[in-house]
Amino acid sequence: MKLLAMIGRTCLGAAETVGGITIVFARILRAMFPPRFDRDETWLNLYKVGVKSYPIVIMTAMFTGAIMVIQSGQYVKQTGATGLLGWGAGYAVLAEIGPVLIGLMFSGRVGANNTAELGTMKVTEQLDALRALAIDPINHLVVPRFLSMMVMLLLLTALGDLFALIGGALTSELILEVDYRVFFHGVFEGHLLDEYFTGLCKAASFGASISVISCFYGLNVSGGATGVGRAVNQCVVTSAIGIFVWDYLITYLAN
Amino acid sequence: MKRRESQETVPYGEIDTTAILDRKPLGDVVLEVHGLTHWFGDVCVLDGVDLTMREGEVVGLIGPGGVGKSVFVKLCCGLLVPDAGEIHILGKDLLALDDKERQELRTRVGLVFQNYALFDFMTVGDNVAFPMRQRGQASEAEIAAKVQERLSEVDLPKVQHLMPNELSGGMKKRVGLARANINDPEFIFFDDPTAGLDPVTSSKIFNLVRRTQEQRNSTCLVISHDIDRMRPVCDRYVLLYDARVRFQGTEQDAMASSDPIVHEFFRAGMVGRA
Repeated sequence: MKLLAMIGRTCLGAAETVGGITIVFARILRAMFPPRFDRDETWLNLYKVGVKSYPIVIMTAMFTGAIMVIQSGQYVKQTGATGLLGWGAGYAVLAEIGPVLIGLMFSGRVGANNTAELGTMKVTEQLDALRALAIDPINHLVVPRFLSMMVMLLLLTALGDLFALIGGALTSELILEVDYRVFFHGVFEGHLLDEYFTGLCKAASFGASISVISCFYGLNVSGGATGVGRAVNQCVVTSAIGIFVWDYLITYLAN
Repeated sequence: MKRRESQETVPYGEIDTTAILDRKPLGDVVLEVHGLTHWFGDVCVLDGVDLTMREGEVVGLIGPGGVGKSVFVKLCCGLLVPDAGEIHILGKDLLALDDKERQELRTRVGLVFQNYALFDFMTVGDNVAFPMRQRGQASEAEIAAKVQERLSEVDLPKVQHLMPNELSGGMKKRVGLARANINDPEFIFFDDPTAGLDPVTSSKIFNLVRRTQEQRNSTCLVISHDIDRMRPVCDRYVLLYDARVRFQGTEQDAMASSDPIVHEFFRAGMVGRA
């Protein structure tokens, strides 16, 4: 009986979360058509989300590309198929590893920060103050964050892809002694444009998903500082689940 | 009836207890609440509360802590939705309004929060300017002039560039008051504007409440436990007790009441008068 009750509670909790996230997403869409969001706040968020994230994205991406090359290096050396090094690393990075790792990094840095920010505003009544001043928090706070995260994760992933390939090329040159031109020849001859665009499509959907999830948890914080901490934790976990669900769906559709 | 010569004759922190407000006669009904009921889970916070206020009136909402005074104010501002009852404010049925109409109504209503609720990522000047800037109906020069005027009214003319965390509690309350006043609201709710403040600053805040009311003939609902300092400000009081309105009337009515709770509450609130 206890087990049944626990299963019931879990299912109700999950349904409540999914329902809440869907409602936040619907309200975002409603505020965008016709556009009623705050443009200044959008520019500010583009800066906060994008410009301040690029150093960590570049570093993550370069190491990712390098690791891909090191992982495949021993097989390349055994078989002498150096021409496949660029293709293999490029395929993995552009289609899968790049968007997913950058997405996870982004959710930890930007999504968690967003939940904490909105959550703190909620517990200090700043969201109520906005509403009392006739300003809709969805138009003023949520939509700018949604747009910024979606656009910036896409651009950061495009940038990260580039640096992942540079990291891979440097590693192949310095550690495996495979000329970087051979590496890039493998990338360009591998016809990876589809993978590249699939990866960008994933990045945009991850950005949208992280923003909606982080805003949902931020707007629904209760219980002061403890509540904010709990919401940040839930945001990071749910965003990671969201990333893998979207990754699965888009990979399935693209293949 | 003694008339105060000038607003500036009241020194900082001193209550002008002899002054009787020289107000315009009370106007039409601007707030009408009937049967307001609100639950938080299994707890009934408000149970069939009724209240009527006229234009230009200042009502003190008093009651023990946790009785639902702030909830009542949030319901009247449309920040919470009641489980039952009706709220008519400034001629509008609040619960029947759509989002756009409710936003429009909120530009005519001000709210000063108990915990300031200043936007901590903006300077004081931007906080006060924010509602006006968002409406987009005034130039930056007009906004700057009005912000300066509102901050001067609350005796804070030189703090525009500071961040809220650089201000004391009393200063934050005054900035909150300036922000709530920026759009010249017809109705202002003060949610415990003197909570946690020293007696001098409390008196200063109540003087500001009075000055605001006099200048714009706005209708004010003031929540406070400090009945003694509310006396020069309020026309009458409403005592919320056990989720219901226990008493409505003037201080004299309260003192003449046979209800021991009303008596006890008002006496306790006036301990400091002597």
